[in-house]
Amino acid sequence: MSVSNLLENWAQVRHEHPNNDKPHDPYKWAMAIDLDACTGCNACSIACYAENNIPVVGKERFQHGQQMHWMRVERYWDEDGREFPDQGFQFLPMMCQQCEAAPCETVCPVAATNHTADGLNSQIYNRCIGSRYCSANCPFKVRYFNWYDYPTDEMVWPAEMQQQMNPDVSVRSKGVMEKCTFCVQRLSAAKVKAKGEGRIVAEGEVQTACQQACPTSAISFGNLVNPDSRVHKQWAAQQVELDKDKQAKNEEEEASELRGYRILEELRAYPSVMYLERVRESAV
Amino acid sequence: MYRFLRFPILLVGLFLAASSFAANSSQPALTTEDSLGPQVQQPIEFPHNRHAGLKDASDPAKGGMEINCQYCHTYARRSAVAGIPPLQKCIGCHQNIESVRNKPRIVELFKYWDAKKAVPWKKVHDLPDFVRFNHERHIKRFVEQQDRPVQEACGYCHGDVKEMTVARRQKSLAMGWCASCHEKDHPVVAEGGTPIAGQAYWYSFQKPAAAVDANTKARGPNDCWQCHK
Repeated sequence: MSVSNLLENWAQVRHEHPNNDKPHDPYKWAMAIDLDACTGCNACSIACYAENNIPVVGKERFQHGQQMHWMRVERYWDEDGREFPDQGFQFLPMMCQQCEAAPCETVCPVAATNHTADGLNSQIYNRCIGSRYCSANCPFKVRYFNWYDYPTDEMVWPAEMQQQMNPDVSVRSKGVMEKCTFCVQRLSAAKVKAKGEGRIVAEGEVQTACQQACPTSAISFGNLVNPDSRVHKQWAAQQVELDKDKQAKNEEEEASELRGYRILEELRAYPSVMYLERVRESAV
Repeated sequence: MYRFLRFPILLVGLFLAASSFAANSSQPALTTEDSLGPQVQQPIEFPHNRHAGLKDASDPAKGGMEINCQYCHTYARRSAVAGIPPLQKCIGCHQNIESVRNKPRIVELFKYWDAKKAVPWKKVHDLPDFVRFNHERHIKRFVEQQDRPVQEACGYCHGDVKEMTVARRQKSLAMGWCASCHEKDHPVVAEGGTPIAGQAYWYSFQKPAAAVDANTKARGPNDCWQCHK
């Protein structure tokens, strides 16, 4: 949704799944993360830092809740009575879910975050005034605020580190909100290449940084409307539909063997990330 | 009472009426806003008019050479940035042009060549780092798909370079100026019903069921992430 469209149709926005009137075509970027394959190694998080010029804030600021990791790996302990060395746990990589009806978009006073035609939730740093309302309204808590200008004097990057900065991603300044972009710079480069050749982006042509770094291929990313894409096949196999707030498979009497689910689906944010995990007795 | 206010109120009213009329009138013509950039001092005063300008029929020694913009700015059609031609490109022609070999600017040029140093050209059209602009897409659309003259297509943003010596920014290159084009309704098919390649192609993706005729209009991409990074 463009800014002009957003402003014209302010009253109508987000009352129902926006797909109903404007189908995603030819792109809808989506993700599927297999938690049974995730080992919690944090490679995705590191890859994200490197790709997106994310500042490393240090231990002290991290404790103050000023961390900037767009991709974080959450850890959930199993509550089965066993003590620490034997206690089981589950990892969950959490990043912006690129909600179709994103709660952050409707509350931004300056429309700095809004929806693109590809179904991404865009964040425009220049437009952002730092009200942090979007972060307050995000059910996944995946938006990060720049409390400082990085690099600061006391936390200046070594000169050679400048060489590893990604020129395709802005370095954000103090007072703006930022979040996972699904590596939009890579998407945009792939789209330009495909457009020049008169086709759409093929499956496997574009990868996000986290997906590329994942040693167990737990993360798959692609175009959900392309029936050949891995992510489309996974969503279809797990019977998870993008524009539903209650999946039909969950209504069945018998507990479904299917592993796919989306986080906080009932909030009607329609996230674009599906997680796969077998429900275990110990984790319930 | 308040008689002295009559005239100012009339003036304000007239102004409001005129400005609201202006706001409602038809969309502004493409690329009209002129905003002259700073005069950039280049290491060698490169005469664009001599290279790209029109030929002088009466005296071939004067006038321009009508060289295609893309002969030197060769990256524009195949990459995001137009780039600056390497010194090799200048020398490639100029080593065979004996008649101007001793002109001061050419002597200067060969000094760089002999020293094996690149000419430190300065940027004239410098977009902020948070913007991505793709030259290739614009050349593909205007020159390759719509067959418009190269100088016209480049001129939408760069002005009439064939009249300049050292290039100077002619348009504001601000976001509103870009959007004045991107938010315009452009026809999807040309006169006679031939689809305008790229536009009709993408229109068919977005509205597969819609019938396309001469009145069908579409807009250029205008979501924020198209240009902001």
